[in-house]
Amino acid sequence: MAGPYGAGRENRRDLWVSGFILAGAITLYALPTRYQTPLRDFVRSTVLRPLFAFQGDIARERGERAALGDVRAQRDSLFAVSAAQWGLAQENRDLRGLLGLRERTPADFVAAELIPMADLGVESTFLVTVGSADGVAPGAAVISPAGLVGVLRDVAERRSQGIDWSHPEFRAGAMTSDGDSYGIVEARRGRFREEDALALVGTPFHNDIPAGTRVVTSGRGGVFPRGIPLGLVEGIEEADTGWRKTYLVRPAVRMQAVVHVLVTRSDAEGALLRDYSAIWAVPAPPDTVTPPDPAQAGPR
Amino acid sequence: MTRRWGYAAMVALLVGVHFVLRISLGFGESAPDLLTVALLLAARRLRPSVGAALGLVLGVLRDSLGVGSFGADGLAMTVIGWLGGRSRDWFEGGTPLFIGVYLTLGVWAHHILRTILGGVPVDSSIIGALVIGPIVGALYAAAAGVAAFLAYTSFAAPSR
Repeated sequence: MAGPYGAGRENRRDLWVSGFILAGAITLYALPTRYQTPLRDFVRSTVLRPLFAFQGDIARERGERAALGDVRAQRDSLFAVSAAQWGLAQENRDLRGLLGLRERTPADFVAAELIPMADLGVESTFLVTVGSADGVAPGAAVISPAGLVGVLRDVAERRSQGIDWSHPEFRAGAMTSDGDSYGIVEARRGRFREEDALALVGTPFHNDIPAGTRVVTSGRGGVFPRGIPLGLVEGIEEADTGWRKTYLVRPAVRMQAVVHVLVTRSDAEGALLRDYSAIWAVPAPPDTVTPPDPAQAGPR
Repeated sequence: MTRRWGYAAMVALLVGVHFVLRISLGFGESAPDLLTVALLLAARRLRPSVGAALGLVLGVLRDSLGVGSFGADGLAMTVIGWLGGRSRDWFEGGTPLFIGVYLTLGVWAHHILRTILGGVPVDSSIIGALVIGPIVGALYAAAAGVAAFLAYTSFAAPSR
């Protein structure tokens, strides 16, 4: 049937043009990642730049409007972790003393605000307001006072994008807080996003992990430092015919509540080798090696 | 302002509102998929090739927000834009009911294409991922699209 804009030659030309555009779309889809990334960065830094700027303003506004108590609690916890790096040694020692945080291990993080992303294809991703200029790199861990939020994937100069624990590609080397069982934590999608959970897979079949056991990062794999809370075991998901068990884990972090986060710095020497159990008052597993605390070694 | 520019302004407004609601304000899927609605409404008045090109541009914009499967939405939106342009040859109509059905089917088809191209593993949960939630989302988006369309037609109607 002829279209309303004429038949014959014009339709054929339109079909050719359509085929050309479709071929372009397929080429774009099939391009290797190393060619897609510059294109994505170009679109982000040009057409989408005002959107991200607006988003940053909204995030700051949201942070300012958050309940004062929540903000104070988050700030206190984040401050305790990161303050030692900022050269405010004496003031921070006083504050940490007041808050009972004197013995906490100084860490190698930079503070940031988190902006959740939610559109088709960008579910379970987020932006943070720090980038390569702040010393972060792809693969950096993102944590909140409650535990591990996710990991950075794309890092621009002043902004980065990462995946949170509910992303299908999220994986973290994990262990029970007593160091008894090791495995890998991965995401489990619920029927609704509120039902999203984690699963601890690959634990030894002969080890029973009781419900309520805390699961933390194991430090294996070279991505996340050790001792960051991931969640609490809820129960067994499946037992793989005598070889291994999988447990459902209730996540420590609910993304809806996250505003302020810390991101591990890539230029921090040995950050991945440290154990952060003490920050969350998780008893360190017996095989933990604690490096000497420079704050205690130096003059006070 | 001519009707043509008025229609283009409505489509551009839908695109802008989509990004502001879903990304800037962080409403996520609580907000309707106005990007696909904008493409479908625009494609009804464009040649299929122009609809496909518009779909590619809008899809690449959405792809640029993500961290994986770049180009999947560009390809899905290209196909939807082309089909939207061709739909004028297959179906005539401008009633709210027709627009509503057209938008519902279009948004749903886009979701299916996007999900498959995004590399979702095909298993028993795929039916739920492609049918139940997406249909509700498509109806929601279609309702928003019909509202925008009615607002445009009442605004663009010649005064008596």
